[in-house]
Amino acid sequence: MTDVGHQPDPEPAGPPAESEPDPRFTLANERTFLAWNRTALALIAAGLGIIQLLPPFHGVPFGRHAVGLPLIVLGAVIAVAAYWELNRNQTAMRRGDPLPRSVVPRLLSATIAAVAALAAAIVLLSVARKRAADSRQGGELATVGPSALGASQ
Amino acid sequence: MRPEPDDPDIVDPASRTRLAWSRTAIAFAAIGAAMLKSSPVAGLIVLGLTVPVWATARRTSDRSGAIATVRDLRLVTVTVVLIAAAALAVAFLGHGPGTLGELLHGH
Repeated sequence: MTDVGHQPDPEPAGPPAESEPDPRFTLANERTFLAWNRTALALIAAGLGIIQLLPPFHGVPFGRHAVGLPLIVLGAVIAVAAYWELNRNQTAMRRGDPLPRSVVPRLLSATIAAVAALAAAIVLLSVARKRAADSRQGGELATVGPSALGASQ
Repeated sequence: MRPEPDDPDIVDPASRTRLAWSRTAIAFAAIGAAMLKSSPVAGLIVLGLTVPVWATARRTSDRSGAIATVRDLRLVTVTVVLIAAAALAVAFLGHGPGTLGELLHGH
């Protein structure tokens, strides 16, 4: 009897077959995870440094917090996202699937660009308010100054 | 063919991974030391959190192939999130309590 015309049984539906990937790929995945965590720590340190070490912006009382807090929060988000991506990549490698695209670089770039724009806006606003305050103070001295000097003498 | 743990092809990536663990542990210690100046209590807590990360780095370097367990990697993530929470607390509380006594008695 021949097998002509015999269709092979379809594979039973279920989770795809998984096998442990090459250790070199697992190690590379681990190093990427650690590198993201060091980036997260650097962001937290930068945020804390801005809040604690920078002198306050003139006329913008919450300027340092507005710049520093998003960096600290981004650090925490990147740490969690790195762990999530590590597991996702490891699962893809076990299944032999292509590696999914990472969202973390885009998130990092977008947030740093936004924080840089915000910092520039705060610096400009602070400079403008300081100049306005200085010119107002100078004008008051010019009008009040001579009489005040005469009164004191 | 899958390389063996002693294969030169796997020794080199394993060494790079061990160095990455060491750099990460140093980064944890550095941020703890930096926080000591502005808030000694938070800095000491962060330095304390560095110890398990350093221990994990040592453990993975002792292990053949140096592949960390899921628990080790989760520990790193949780520690970074705790450091971020400590940094947020320091940011909102100003300079924070200077000493443990100030922390306990309210400052």
